[in-house]
Amino acid sequence: MRSRVLAGMVALCCLIPASGCGVSSGQENDNAGGGGDDTLTVFAASSLTDAFSELEKTFEKRHPGVDLRQSFESSSTLLTQIQQGAPADVFASAAQEEMDTAAEDGLVSGEPRTFVRNREVVMVPEENPANIEEFRDMSRPGIKLVLAEDGVPAADYALEILGKAESEYGDGFEEDVLSNVVSREADVRASVNRVALGDADATFGYASDYTPDIRDRVKVIQIPPDLNIVATYPIAALEDSESPELAREWVDFVTSGEGQRVMEKWNFEPAS
Amino acid sequence: MKGRVSRRRGFSVGDALASGLGVASLALLAGFISLPIISLVLWTVNEDSWRAMASPVTRDALLLSVRTTAISMFIIILVGTPAAYVLARAQFPGKRLVDSLIDLPAVLPPSAAGIALLLTFGRFGLVGEPLDAFGIRITFTTVAVVLAEIFVAAHFYVRQAVVGFSQVRRDVEEAAMVDGAGRFATFTKVTAPLAFPALVAGAVMAWARALGEFGGTIIFAGSFQGVTQTVPLAIFSALQSDLDAAVALSVMVLGFAFVVILAAKFLLRKAADLED
Repeated sequence: MRSRVLAGMVALCCLIPASGCGVSSGQENDNAGGGGDDTLTVFAASSLTDAFSELEKTFEKRHPGVDLRQSFESSSTLLTQIQQGAPADVFASAAQEEMDTAAEDGLVSGEPRTFVRNREVVMVPEENPANIEEFRDMSRPGIKLVLAEDGVPAADYALEILGKAESEYGDGFEEDVLSNVVSREADVRASVNRVALGDADATFGYASDYTPDIRDRVKVIQIPPDLNIVATYPIAALEDSESPELAREWVDFVTSGEGQRVMEKWNFEPAS
Repeated sequence: MKGRVSRRRGFSVGDALASGLGVASLALLAGFISLPIISLVLWTVNEDSWRAMASPVTRDALLLSVRTTAISMFIIILVGTPAAYVLARAQFPGKRLVDSLIDLPAVLPPSAAGIALLLTFGRFGLVGEPLDAFGIRITFTTVAVVLAEIFVAAHFYVRQAVVGFSQVRRDVEEAAMVDGAGRFATFTKVTAPLAFPALVAGAVMAWARALGEFGGTIIFAGSFQGVTQTVPLAIFSALQSDLDAAVALSVMVLGFAFVVILAAKFLLRKAADLED
């Protein structure tokens, strides 16, 4: 108990100089033009990690003095944080549902725009210890399958796919696959990492999660197109944004031709 | 000189300021700790999230936490007690190193501990790979949860136990041995009872740490209801979909922890009374 209190105090002490730093860098930024609030906070689905990180660099180069901060977690976690008043300026969700809820709660400013589409794939370790050659093999007993948490879009899509497969492959397929689940991970990237580390035999991820980083450790098994889903990613500026101007510019940038090319490079399908 | 005079009078601006500062600091700290706790309870009452306490997810998480921390504590006490006694009494080469090694998990961020355990017991780990050849896998099992708990919590028990044993005077032990008691009997009848308050305090700290263990477990053991999803993981998981359930679980574990702290305090008082 005592050590926790101590740790809390240490954490607090660390926060104070950090916030001091933030202020001073903000003042430096004023010289570079712009002025006012120069921080933009983007909450984005974890599958957007690589693409949005690349876009961030370009955006910051174009807007000298702007500090772009991004938080990548499951869309459902981000939604909860936004509902609890987290200071975010933009929300990019991996599913329509989370964005719809945010809009219903009056948290979104303007109309959300769909900016990319994505599909799911099955990923297995390069060594493929469970010997999964096609999607149907997923129902074989003993496979260690990892899914994202209930409510995380990637997992909800996986369940949708299994539901469709049930009617095509026959009784029990869905149940057999689900009985192979050994862990539910916080977001889709965490479940892909389980496979990259070789501890899980398979997981569901997005086509865009097959990043260069993991290509030598992970193999992709395609899901038959008639069973697959199309994930649509909506993006919107948030009502409580303190930098509405910058928020709008980020949304415009992501949906611009240039932004779309970067998204395509990271295996997303353009929205239009 | 002046200071001493005024102190004797029991009244000085400095003293008043010092005690005022102390009281204010204590109030600040107590407020800082109680406000979040009050918020948790208020939310539960206002949002009527009691029903979430009866859900299967909550029940499984609580049962798993009770089960795994009980096993972890059993192993920690079984192995940690003699280990602590050796650390307190014996001199041997490399003692400082071993001593620091035991403290290491307390300083290591739990997430780093989780990765370290994964690289050891995971399928391609130092120990995990040979085990895998025998068809034994540790990740994603309850065993992994227990290992993570022992890894992060053992320090808290061993550290306190070493202090407790060091405070038992050697001549008391020697007197018992002169009276014909064997080494083992001396330990169980004399040393351990004298060190009892320290052992209980250490066990409570270790148990609290094991109960709160999160980072190591989620990275090393994964998260699955009834198998690896302990209370902290269930709280994190509930945040994805059901804030009420997350709050309800937090309140439950809060009450649970409170009862254990009170019980430990009671035990310690009892032990002190016995000594008198």
